[in-house]
Amino acid sequence: MTLLLLLLIPVVAAVLLPLLSGEANRVRAAALAAALAQVAVGLWLWQHPPVELSLRWLPQLGLQLDLGLDGLSLPLVLMAALLTAMAILATPADQNRPRLFFALLLATNVGLVGSFVARNALLFVLAYELILIPTTLLVAIWGGPRRSTAAIRFLLYGAISGIALLAAVMAFGWLQGGGLDFSFAALAHHSLTPTQQRWILALVLLAFGLKLPVVPLHGWQPLTYSQAPTPVAMMLAGAVSKLGAYGLLRFGVAFLPDAWSAWSGWIAAVGAISAMYGALNAVAQLDMRRLVAYSSLGHMGFLLLALAAATPLSLQGVMAQMLAHGLIIALLFCLVGLIEIKTGSSEIPELSGLLNAQRGLPFTMGLMLLALMAAAGVPGQAGFVAELLVFEGSWVAYPWPTLVCLVSSGLTAVYAVRLFNRVGFGRLDNARANWASTSWTERAPALVLTALVVLGGLWPSALTGFSETDTAPLALRSSDAVTVIATSTPQELNA
Amino acid sequence: MTPTATAATEATRTPLIPPSTHRYSEVIHRLEAGGSMLPDTPENLKQIIGIYKAYAVPMDFYWRDLLYIAERVFLNPLPAFKYFISQEYLDLPNSYAGDQSKLRIWRGGEKAHPELLEFMARGETGNMPKLLHHLWHDRVNMEFAEACMQAMLWHQGMGGRFNDYLESDAYKANADRAIKAYFKGNPLMLGLYKLFPEMFLEQVRQLSYTANLGLFWEVMAPVFFEMSDIYDEGGFKGVPDAMDFLVNGIFAVAGRPIYHHVYIGGECYEIIPKSEGFTWLYEAALPYVEAVFYRTSPFRGTKSYNAQADQVPSDQADFHYGILYADVYPVGSAGIPPTLLMQDMLHFLPPYLKETYKEHRRGEEDELIQLGITFQRSMYNVTSAVIQALRCALLYPLDDTDPEHLMANRRFFEAQLDRFLRPEARLSDIQSQDYR
Repeated sequence: MTLLLLLLIPVVAAVLLPLLSGEANRVRAAALAAALAQVAVGLWLWQHPPVELSLRWLPQLGLQLDLGLDGLSLPLVLMAALLTAMAILATPADQNRPRLFFALLLATNVGLVGSFVARNALLFVLAYELILIPTTLLVAIWGGPRRSTAAIRFLLYGAISGIALLAAVMAFGWLQGGGLDFSFAALAHHSLTPTQQRWILALVLLAFGLKLPVVPLHGWQPLTYSQAPTPVAMMLAGAVSKLGAYGLLRFGVAFLPDAWSAWSGWIAAVGAISAMYGALNAVAQLDMRRLVAYSSLGHMGFLLLALAAATPLSLQGVMAQMLAHGLIIALLFCLVGLIEIKTGSSEIPELSGLLNAQRGLPFTMGLMLLALMAAAGVPGQAGFVAELLVFEGSWVAYPWPTLVCLVSSGLTAVYAVRLFNRVGFGRLDNARANWASTSWTERAPALVLTALVVLGGLWPSALTGFSETDTAPLALRSSDAVTVIATSTPQELNA
Repeated sequence: MTPTATAATEATRTPLIPPSTHRYSEVIHRLEAGGSMLPDTPENLKQIIGIYKAYAVPMDFYWRDLLYIAERVFLNPLPAFKYFISQEYLDLPNSYAGDQSKLRIWRGGEKAHPELLEFMARGETGNMPKLLHHLWHDRVNMEFAEACMQAMLWHQGMGGRFNDYLESDAYKANADRAIKAYFKGNPLMLGLYKLFPEMFLEQVRQLSYTANLGLFWEVMAPVFFEMSDIYDEGGFKGVPDAMDFLVNGIFAVAGRPIYHHVYIGGECYEIIPKSEGFTWLYEAALPYVEAVFYRTSPFRGTKSYNAQADQVPSDQADFHYGILYADVYPVGSAGIPPTLLMQDMLHFLPPYLKETYKEHRRGEEDELIQLGITFQRSMYNVTSAVIQALRCALLYPLDDTDPEHLMANRRFFEAQLDRFLRPEARLSDIQSQDYR
C-alpha cells in the first residue's frame, strides 16, 4: 500500500492547498512538504522491492488499479517527485494565486507519477491525459505574453497525442484476443499480426512523438517552453517530455518489438533529424528560453536514436539520458528563469556582463556554465555519461544517424559557448543593472540540481544502476558486434 | 562670495554672448558661470569630498613610496622590497602639512596619516608579518601608482620642458654620475652599463617620472585632507566651492619645484636639480591629468582592445582610456586599473559615504563599484578645476565684459568638452544622480 502513497500524497495536497489559509510562503511550504514526502516514499520503495499493487476497479472495462515500480519507472518517479519539489522552490515568492498554482503543479505530478507507476495501459492513458489539463492551465494563466497561443497549441497537440494513445491502447486491448485486458503483462504476450502491430505502432509513435517531441511533431514545444512560467517549463521539459520516451520504451520497444525493429531505421533517421534540427535552431536563437527549448528538442533526438537502436547499451543510454537530460534541462530553465526575474529579459542581445562580480549574477552564471557544459556532454557531468552510452550503444546499429547526432552534440557546445559569451561577458549595462543579487532561497533549486548533475557524472551507475536489469531484456539487438570488432583479429573477422 | 561666484551672478544678469550650441551646452554654461562639469548637488558634494578623503590616505602612501623608490631604491636590479617603505619615509615631513611646512595646505600633521599607519599594521586580515600582508595583497596597491607613472612616461610630450630635459646632455651627465656611484664596487653592473648605457638611462628616466609623480601627490594628499576637514566643519556650500578650493590650491602651488634627487652612500645626487626650474603645474599636474585622466593605455584592466581592428587610435594623443572614460565595472573595463585604486579607497571611506552606498543598488555588496563611480565624479571635478585654472592662466576672467574675450573663453571650454563627445566618455552619465 506504500506505493499508493506516491499518488495519494500529491492528490491530497492538491485538493487541500486551495483551502489552506495564510500567507503564500505557508502554501509553498505545504506544497514543498508534499513533494518531499513523495521523494521520501520513493526512496523507501527503492530500498524495499519488489513493489506491486493490484486492486479491482472497473473490470468490465478492463481497468484495474495495477501499479508497480521497476527499474524503468522508479528512477523516473524519483526524478518527477524531485523536479516537482524543485519547481515549487523555484516559484517566485510573489507568485500570484499561489494556492491554485501549486495545486496544479501537484496535479501535474499526480499525472506524471501515475503514468510511471501504472501497470495497466488504460490506467496509463488516464494518468497521461490528466497531465494535459493542469499544465495547459498553468501555461494559460501564468505564462508569458503569448500564453494564450501557447496554451491552445499545447492543448491541441496534447489532445491529439492523447487520442492517438487511447486509440492505440484500445486497439491493443481489442485485437490481442484475450478479452478486455489492458494489463502490461497481457500486452506483453499479445498475438497481433505484423500488420496490426504496425498500425498500433504508428499510433504509439504519433502519441509519444508529440509528447517528446520530435521533428516534425514539435510545433507546440518552442512556444510553450518559452511562454510557460519557469517552474512549469522545468516540469514540462524535465519530466513530462520524458513520458514520451518512457512510453516509446514501454509500448513500442517492449510490446511491439517486431514492428519496432521493422521501422527502427526510419525512427533512427527521425532522431538524427530532430537532433540536428534542434541544435541548428538553438544556434540561431536570440532568446535564452527558446534556445534551451530547441536544445531540448535536439537531445530528444538522441533518445529516439537510442530507442531505435535498442541494443542493451543504447537502452541503458535511454534511461541515463532521460535522467540526465531531465535534471540538466530543468536546471537550465531554472537558471534562465532566475536571470529573467532579475534582469527582466531573456533576450540574448539585451544581456551582457552578467558575470560581473559586483553587479551581475556571478553565482547564477557560474551554475549556468556548469549546466551548459553538462548539456554539451563535457566529461565529469551527467550529460557525458548519458550521451556516451547513447552514441556507443547506437553506433553498432545505425552509424550514420549516430554520426549526425554526434555532430549535433558538438553544436551544443557552439550554442552553449555563444550564449555564455554574450550573456556572461562584455560590459554590464549600468542603466539596467539595478537588480538585487540572488538569495540563497532562489539559488537552492539550482544548487540541488547542479549537485545531482555533477553526482551523475562522477557516479555514472547512479544513472544506469537502477535500470540495467530491466533494460537488458528489452533489447532487440545485441551490442556484441561492437565487442567483436574491438577484440577480434582481422583473420577472425574475415572468417 | 568667491570671485567665480560673483562672475556667475554677473554673467546670468547680462548675457553678452549667445548661448552655446555645443552638445554639452548646459555644462559649458555651467563652466562659464564658474561651476564645475559636475552638477552642483548636495549629494555630489558629499560624494566627491568623501572620496577625496578616501583617496588621500592611500595617496599619502603613494607619494612617500614613489619618492622612496626614486631616491633610495633607485636602480636596484631586484627591487622585491620596493613597496616595503622605510620608517624614514613614513616619517618624511610633507612639505605642505604640519608646522614645519613653508606653504601649509593641511592643518594636520606632516607624517604619515594615522589611518594609513593603522591599516598598514592590521590590514583587513589582522596582525601578521608584513610579507604576508604584501603577498595576500592586504596592503596599499602601489601597482596603481606605478601604472600612473608609466602612463606619464609612456605618453611623454604633453607640454612642459620636463620630457625634453630627460634627453639633454646635462641630464645624462647627472644620471651617469648617479649610476656609477650606485654601482660602485659592482663590476658586473658597471660592465653592463658600459655595454647598454641607454637601458640604464631609460631606467633613470622612469625613476625621474616616479619622483615627478611623488612630488605631485605630495601636494594633492594634503589638499584632499584639508577639503575633507573643511567639509566636516560645514565649510563648503556646493560643488563650485570645492572646485574653487582646488583652483586656488593649483595657483598656490603652481610654482613649487619638481626635481629628482638620489641618495647614495649618504650623498645627494641631483639628477634633476631644483635649479632647472621645473614647476608643479606645468611639469607634473598638467601631464598627469592628460596622461592619467584622459589617455592611459588600452591594455590595462580586464579588457584589451584590438589594434588590428582599429579599436585603438593610431595617435596616442587620441587615447581615451583614463578615468574620465573608464568603465569602472571590473568586467569590460579598461584604463588605469581602477579596481586596485578602488580597493585601496574602500579601506578609508568616511562613514557618511558608506551610509550613502548602503542606501543604493546592492548596498555593501557593490560599494566597490559605487565608490568607483564616485571617484569618476570627483575626477571630473578635479578636471574642471584644471580647466578653470588654465582658462584663468591663459585667457580671460569669467566676469570680463568684452564679448570677444567671453567668446574666447567659450571656444576654450568647447574645445575642452569636445574631448568628451566620444561615446566612451562618462560626462553625460555623471550629469545624473542615478549613475551609481
